[in-house]
Parts: sequence; structure tokens; C-alpha cells
Amino acid sequence: MRPYLFPIGLLVLGLSFLLNLGLGSVMIPFGEIASGIVSGDWSKNSWEQIILNYRLPKALVAVFAGVGLSVSGLQMQTFFRNPLAGPFVLGISSGAGLGVAVLILAGSAFGLVISGINSWAIATAGVLGAGLVLSGVSLVAWRVKDSMTLLIVGLMFGSAVSAVISVLSYFSGAEALKLFTVWSMGSLGALGWSQVGIVGLLILLGSIPVVGSIKSYNALLLGEVYAKSMGIHTSQMRWLMIVSTGILAGGITAFCGPIAFVGIAVPHLARIVWKSSDHRVLFPGSALIGAILLLLCDAAGQLPGMASTLPINAVTSLVGAPIVIALILKRNFSRDF
Amino acid sequence: MRKHQPHIALEGKGLTLGYRRKNSRKEVLRNLDFQLFQGELTCLLGPNGVGKSTLIKAILGHVKPWAGEIRIDEELIQGQKPEQLAKRISVVLTDPVFPGNMTVGQLVALGRTPHTGWLGKLTSMDCEIVEKALSDTKTNAIRDERLSEISDGQRQKAMVARALAQDGQLIILDEPTAHLDLENRLEIMHLLRDIACRQGKSVLVVTHDLDIALETADRFWLMGRDRALISGLPEDLILSGQIDLLLPTEKYGFNLDRGKVEQKSTATKNWTIEADPSLRLWVEKALEKAGIAHLTQTAHIKREPFAIFYKEMEFNSLADFIDFLKN
Repeated sequence: MRPYLFPIGLLVLGLSFLLNLGLGSVMIPFGEIASGIVSGDWSKNSWEQIILNYRLPKALVAVFAGVGLSVSGLQMQTFFRNPLAGPFVLGISSGAGLGVAVLILAGSAFGLVISGINSWAIATAGVLGAGLVLSGVSLVAWRVKDSMTLLIVGLMFGSAVSAVISVLSYFSGAEALKLFTVWSMGSLGALGWSQVGIVGLLILLGSIPVVGSIKSYNALLLGEVYAKSMGIHTSQMRWLMIVSTGILAGGITAFCGPIAFVGIAVPHLARIVWKSSDHRVLFPGSALIGAILLLLCDAAGQLPGMASTLPINAVTSLVGAPIVIALILKRNFSRDF
Repeated sequence: MRKHQPHIALEGKGLTLGYRRKNSRKEVLRNLDFQLFQGELTCLLGPNGVGKSTLIKAILGHVKPWAGEIRIDEELIQGQKPEQLAKRISVVLTDPVFPGNMTVGQLVALGRTPHTGWLGKLTSMDCEIVEKALSDTKTNAIRDERLSEISDGQRQKAMVARALAQDGQLIILDEPTAHLDLENRLEIMHLLRDIACRQGKSVLVVTHDLDIALETADRFWLMGRDRALISGLPEDLILSGQIDLLLPTEKYGFNLDRGKVEQKSTATKNWTIEADPSLRLWVEKALEKAGIAHLTQTAHIKREPFAIFYKEMEFNSLADFIDFLKN
């Protein structure tokens, strides 16, 4: 355990936040941003507009999404005792994708005007889709006792739902398909302040069950039988885990689209950085690293001087895949778990 | 008759256990009675598949009995919440499930889980108990080592320490030494015996290791298919022949002279061997394995230096002797 890393992490988080705000198609000096946010005085009106209405909400969403996905990923890895588990193993992202696909792809087939679809509609469809798949998984979870079976069932639900999305895509028009594809690449920037507030609220809500059972997660590191023998209600934890991940990963996916890899890679990074398996360290640690990573990925996608940005899902995967590969090569995943 | 009856830590009466699958019910144990005494190391032995693990699960409260009851300190286990039960019973399992980043000290501290608040913060009393568990199991020296960096034997000792730190009256171990080498097996079983004697805990060990169980256990529980659980002093069970319950087929049996399980020899042996009993034992064993049933003359065996005299010849090893007999 290295507690001194938390202040350093917070400092890095602050710097990443500032960097994220500064980078974009218009370069804004970091000093300007800091003084502008603190004092409310901006030397250029356009800078104020860009920062307050576009970049600040985007950076906040990056922080929220990073925190939510990492925390969710960590609890899934511990619950399933599987280093490759992540927030989406229960089919949540596929579910959200299904909701959005039905809205955009099937909607266009029935003559819905695509330009009439705003981000609220997409988010609602995503939440409904994720909720649908999650309740399907929950119905199964209610019957099976073994967490490994639940994991397999979740993955199967995910691929079945993905197949439905493929069928929908196959029969849909070019414009609708493009819109859906763009959604599936993920985006942090499309949200206004009210939506940012909702995402923040969801992260808060979804974290409550996690924080409430931190001790139980530590006991669960020894497996379900040991955890039970130490008085942990494992079946109750399973429900808390499903609800929490549904809110965290489902909410983020509904508003930002699927964001890959953060949820799988960040908990491992936290284990390596803090050299600990104690969830009292790992949960805040993962949240911190997740927020930093997503801020930096988003910044990397906003190359200065260029008007267009890389989609966030592509950037996280580009960053995440080498990290996971390096981790696997460097050490035995399961031994460090 | 025993005058002084020790305190009964755990008692089962008319216990019937089994599994339910869709439409079929599979009964594993029927009408089982048992008593576990305080301050004793009890070894539960029985062939695979007689329901030892199911019994353990029932005692831990993970499986509900179909009939009968289990009482711990005269209180029913059924209906006790997991967190209440956790303060009375702790376990050690066979499989080395472990998080590699955790240190031995942290692992042992996890044993305090049922006693701590929601964040699992240790009070000074908790710390004292953890210290005691570490020193009782002699895992003090490795307290800061990570679980991925220590040997299987040390890890299992740390698991015993964790169970001790949980501070229940009863410790149940399901084949705790299955993956370990000879020395670690002996050490862990003697450690458990110490814990039972000195700290007055009741220790129940499921094991297949008859030799070491004989050496350490205060009491045996023998389980066979479709019959009552037999409980008794290990030596009594051996002298009464009930130990053969562990070997349901006729092929093997417990040899009283040699104190171990052996294949029952069917061939009649026709030889005279002059030697110390201890030498004689190993010579006979070697001859039996080689399939030699009779010697035409008396064999004289001498110790230091080892030599076999037979038909006016001298052999320096059993291998040479057997080679000669076979040709």
C-alpha cells in the first residue's frame, strides 16, 4: 500500500483536467482557463463560451465515465474472481446498443425522422435497452447459484443481443446506419449541462452499493465459500453488484456510447500502482486512474490544430489494448489478482 | 465408562442431507448422529463420495438439512445468520484460492471480518488477536510477504492463522494438507493439535491421510456409505477392525502389526527368514512385491553392514537377492 500516491494522483487528475480543457480545435492557454474558472473573468468571450458550454461539461463527463467504468470493472473482477471481467460482461453495453439500435435503425425503417432524434431520446433508449438485458440476466441470476455460470450467461446474452443489432443494421438505411455507428464509437462531448448533472448523479447512486460493501469485497477475494464463512451475504452482494453495475455502466453507455477497455484495464493498473488488493485502496485508486485515463484519452483524441476529433471508444481501445498486452506479458495476471 | 464427559461443541441429531435437482432428490446422508468435543482434534475419514463435503457444508450453514438438526454450543445452526455463525465457525479449504497481492498479515487480518464495522477497520483488540494468530502459527516471520511469493505450505499455514483470527470455537478444515509435502503435512496437523489442546478449540479435519491422522487425532469419525457415523479413539477403531470401513473393497486392509494399510496378500508364503522384526518387515515386503512365494532354504539377514546370506552366498542388497531368486 502506498497511501502517499493519493495526493499525487489528485494532482495528476487536476493537471489532466486542465490539459483536457486546454486542448481542442482552439488552443486556450492553461493559465487563462484556471483564472477564468476561478474568477469568472475571461479575456475573450469566445473562450468563455467554449470552456463553459463545451469543454467543461465534456471534461466532467470524462471524469464521471472514468470513475464509473473503473469502479464497475473492479467490482466485476472481484465478484467473478476473473481478471478479464469488466463492466460489460453482463451484456450491458450490448443492451444499451440494442435500445439505441431499435430507436435509430428500426425507427428509421418505420419513417421516424432521424434528425428528430436527440441525445435525450438516445439516452432513454440506451437505459431501456440496458435495463432489459440486465433484467434478463437477473432472471437467470435468480436461478443459478454459481457466479461462473452467471458470467457465461451474461456473455451469451451479450452475443445474442449483438446478433439482433447486426440484423437490424443489415436492414437499415445508410443514414441511420451512420448515426448508429457514430453512437457506437462513443462520445463524451455531446452532452449539455443538465445531462452532465444526471450522469454525475448516476455515478453517485451506483457507487453507494460499492462503498457500502467494501469490506465484503475484501472477503470475496478468498472466494465465495470463504466469504460466506466470514459472514458475508454473497447472494445479497450479487444483487447489489448487478444494480450498481447497471446504474454505472448502463448510465454511462446510454449517455456516452460504449467505452471499451477502461473498465478492464484500470483496476489492473490500480493494483500495480498501489501494490495492494485491499478494496479500501483499490476503489478510490481505480476511480482516480480511470478519471485520469479517460481525460488523457479524450485529450489525445483532440489533436490541436485539427477540427475533427477521434472517437473516444477508438482512443481508449488504442490505449487500452497495448496496456492489457503489456500487463499480460509483464506478469502473471491471476497471481497478482 | 468415562466419568468425565467433555463439553459438546457441535452435535448432530438425525441429520439427513441431500441435493435437489429439478424433479429428483438425491439423498447423500441419512439419519446421521455425531458429537464433536471441545479441546479435541477430530479427523473425519471416509471414502470419496460418502458425503463428507456435504456434511461440512451443512455445518457451515451453506446447505439446509432435509431432516434433523445441528447444534453448536446447544444452539441450532439453522436460523442463525451468516454473521452470527461466522463468529463461531471458521474454515480452511483445500484449494489455494488466493489474491497474490495480499500479504500474509492482511490475509490473517481478514479473519476479523465478522467482528469489524463496515470499513473493516481493526481495533486494538482485533490487532492483538491477529498478532496472536500469527505467533501461534509461527507465520510472524512472513507477515509482510505477498501470498504469491510464499510456498504452498506457508500459504496454508497462513490460512490456518486466518481461521484462528476469526476466533470461533470451532475450526473446520477440508483436506487442508492435500497439496502439501510430507513435512508440511505433519507440521500443520501438529499445529492443529496444539490449537485444540492448548486453546480449547474444537478442530474438525477432513483428511485422507490416515498415517498422519493416526499420529495426531484425538478422535476419528469414520463415514461409510449407507451407515451410521462411527466415532471413537483412533486406536480403538483399529483394534476393533472398524477402520476397514475406509476400504470397502476386500482388496486392502489395515495391517495391525505394521500399523498401515496394505494390499491383503492372497498367496501363501512359505519361507523362513531369520532377522530382526524391522528388517524382516522390509524383506518380506520386497519379496511379496516381486511375486516370490517361497524360499527353499532359510535366509539370514544381518544389519550393519546389510547383508543377506542364502544358499552359501552373500547379497548386499535386496535387488541383487531378488535378481538371483528370479533367475
